[in-house]
Amino acid sequence: MFRWAIRTALLWITALILAAPHANAAPMLRIGVAGPLTGDQAAFGEMLKNGALLAVAEWNAKGGVSVGGKMRKIEILWGDDRHDPREGVSIAHKFVNSGVVGVVGHFNSSVSIPASTVYAEAGVVQITPASTNPKLTEQGFKTVFRVCGRDDQQGQVAADYIVDKLGVKRVAILHDKTTYGQGLADETKRFLEAKGVKPVFYSGVIQGDKDYTPVLTAMKQKSPELVYFGGIHPEAILLVKQMRERLGIKAAFMSGDGVFVDEFFKIAGKSAEGSYLTFTPDQKKISAAQNVIKAHRARFGREVGAYTIYSYVAANMILSSIAETGSAKGAKIAAHIRGKAWKTALGKIQFNKKGDVLESPYVFWQVKGGKFVQID
Amino acid sequence: MFTQQLVNGIVVGSIYALIALGYTLVYGILKLINFAHGEIYMIGAYVGISVLAVLGTMGITQMSLALTVVIVFLVPMVYCAAYGITLERIAYRPLRGAPRLSPLISAIGMSLFLQNYVQVAQGARDKAFPNLLELGGFTLLGAYINGLQIFILLTALGVMAALHLFIQKTRMGRAMRATSEDRTMARLVGVDVNRVIAATFAIGSALAAIAGVMVGMYYGLVNHYIGFMAGIKAFTAAVLGGIGNVAGALLGGFLLAMLESFWAGYVSAVYKDVFAFAVLVIVLIFRPQGILGGSEGSDRG
Repeated sequence: MFRWAIRTALLWITALILAAPHANAAPMLRIGVAGPLTGDQAAFGEMLKNGALLAVAEWNAKGGVSVGGKMRKIEILWGDDRHDPREGVSIAHKFVNSGVVGVVGHFNSSVSIPASTVYAEAGVVQITPASTNPKLTEQGFKTVFRVCGRDDQQGQVAADYIVDKLGVKRVAILHDKTTYGQGLADETKRFLEAKGVKPVFYSGVIQGDKDYTPVLTAMKQKSPELVYFGGIHPEAILLVKQMRERLGIKAAFMSGDGVFVDEFFKIAGKSAEGSYLTFTPDQKKISAAQNVIKAHRARFGREVGAYTIYSYVAANMILSSIAETGSAKGAKIAAHIRGKAWKTALGKIQFNKKGDVLESPYVFWQVKGGKFVQID
Repeated sequence: MFTQQLVNGIVVGSIYALIALGYTLVYGILKLINFAHGEIYMIGAYVGISVLAVLGTMGITQMSLALTVVIVFLVPMVYCAAYGITLERIAYRPLRGAPRLSPLISAIGMSLFLQNYVQVAQGARDKAFPNLLELGGFTLLGAYINGLQIFILLTALGVMAALHLFIQKTRMGRAMRATSEDRTMARLVGVDVNRVIAATFAIGSALAAIAGVMVGMYYGLVNHYIGFMAGIKAFTAAVLGGIGNVAGALLGGFLLAMLESFWAGYVSAVYKDVFAFAVLVIVLIFRPQGILGGSEGSDRG
């Protein structure tokens, strides 16, 4: 009698355990979000993180995304690549093995490019909010997109401005030897040379170093009127500070979207004043972006960063495509993203065959009175 | 250009040398490479920022600049000395009789721990070090020299001179020299070896704190990662000059910084670190004990 009771009890427990997954709703739909969440570029990682969180929160509040007629909630898998290409590839494998339906990321071109191979092989859609190196979309992958511009576009805008608007002839070019930084510097150099301006100084600098005075001293000998830097803000801050404070170099400083972070003028202070940056037009003036800006303020208690809305838009594209096609298959999502004329929080976006946005919207910004001001 | 590169090198050299002293002091006594030393330097910079913030709210920064500067250096020194002593107590003393590899692994572990601990506690973003000394600059022999650079050089030289006097003239200094020469013998003649070792860690860490605050002031930018590269460079400087030798740490620090500065300025900024480490390798091939290292370094190390 007693044995029978135990046996029945065990049977019931087993049945309950086996039945448990079925008792729950459909499993969570996973998307991956990857970028430098920690380390010296964590400011950018945080932007990617917050943008994706806002997009996913909106969808989950509506009950999730409908896949094959079933509503499924969305879960984010985080990948901290610390702007290291090797970390990026291992995160990509982890994402693919966890069955993500799409990836928002990575931030740095040097990470996005090797990771894109992994996603393309697995047929997982990847939308980068920020990687601007042309090579990313030149590999012929059907699954890779970017909602930002390209460095050949950015370099051209920079070269035009230097020659036509500023009328500068003596340009020094520095870069941080990364795929993004050197890529951008080389594009700018190429367009400058096409306009007949040959840079008077060209050199790489070591990312993560603290003292750039030796290379800046060598640069000073060529008396440049303008210094163009391809790279990210931690190095830009040190370069501009050491130019002004250590060596008394008065040449104008110009850089690209990788320096568009408040830290640049906050830490470099007076030395950053007057610096030029290429970036997309003021997001605060886009009416479609207002809801995101408000939601961000309410949830995180601060203003959006340069790439927050890009990340929001990228996450939204993946989720809307799943909802609109009713499928979580990479190939279907990718075809849908490519075919549609998107109305996003950043305005209209349409992709070409490669996965680049059709229009390049780079404009010029300047640090004026301790903040970024759009100047054209 | 030549004088400018000289100035660039001297400033970086003073910082390398200050950190290298910490490696060399500990190595001299324990034959241990304290890989967590770079993190102590990083913590010094962070404490400096916090102290400045506190002084700012108390209004002392407006009251007296001299007092502010003294406090900004003193508090991180005391703080880091405490860190150094604790580090030795927790991570190295229990392993004193163990094979040489164990304390080394423990040191690397402490280094990773401290780095990540600061990241969690302070956040991963760069922190600005407020510009405390607004010293002007002037041009001398074609080099632009900043008041802060002179301040750094003088402070570093002053501290090194004080350290030299301490080691040569005081009782504790004599005990340190004795322990370094023969620990067992020193204990037999009544030297409290544990106290000497703790003092060594405290002094080395206080020097690192000075370097940390100076770097914060000089570059205006601090993050939890700065200890890594600075630690490796200072370690290289210590080995170059002859590890375990105090004068060697000075020579190594200035020499390494000069080589880097001139190489980056005249040859290639991209291969600066490659060159620095190549020089280290070449020197070690011909003089394994370092430039000033005596036989002591090679036969007992």
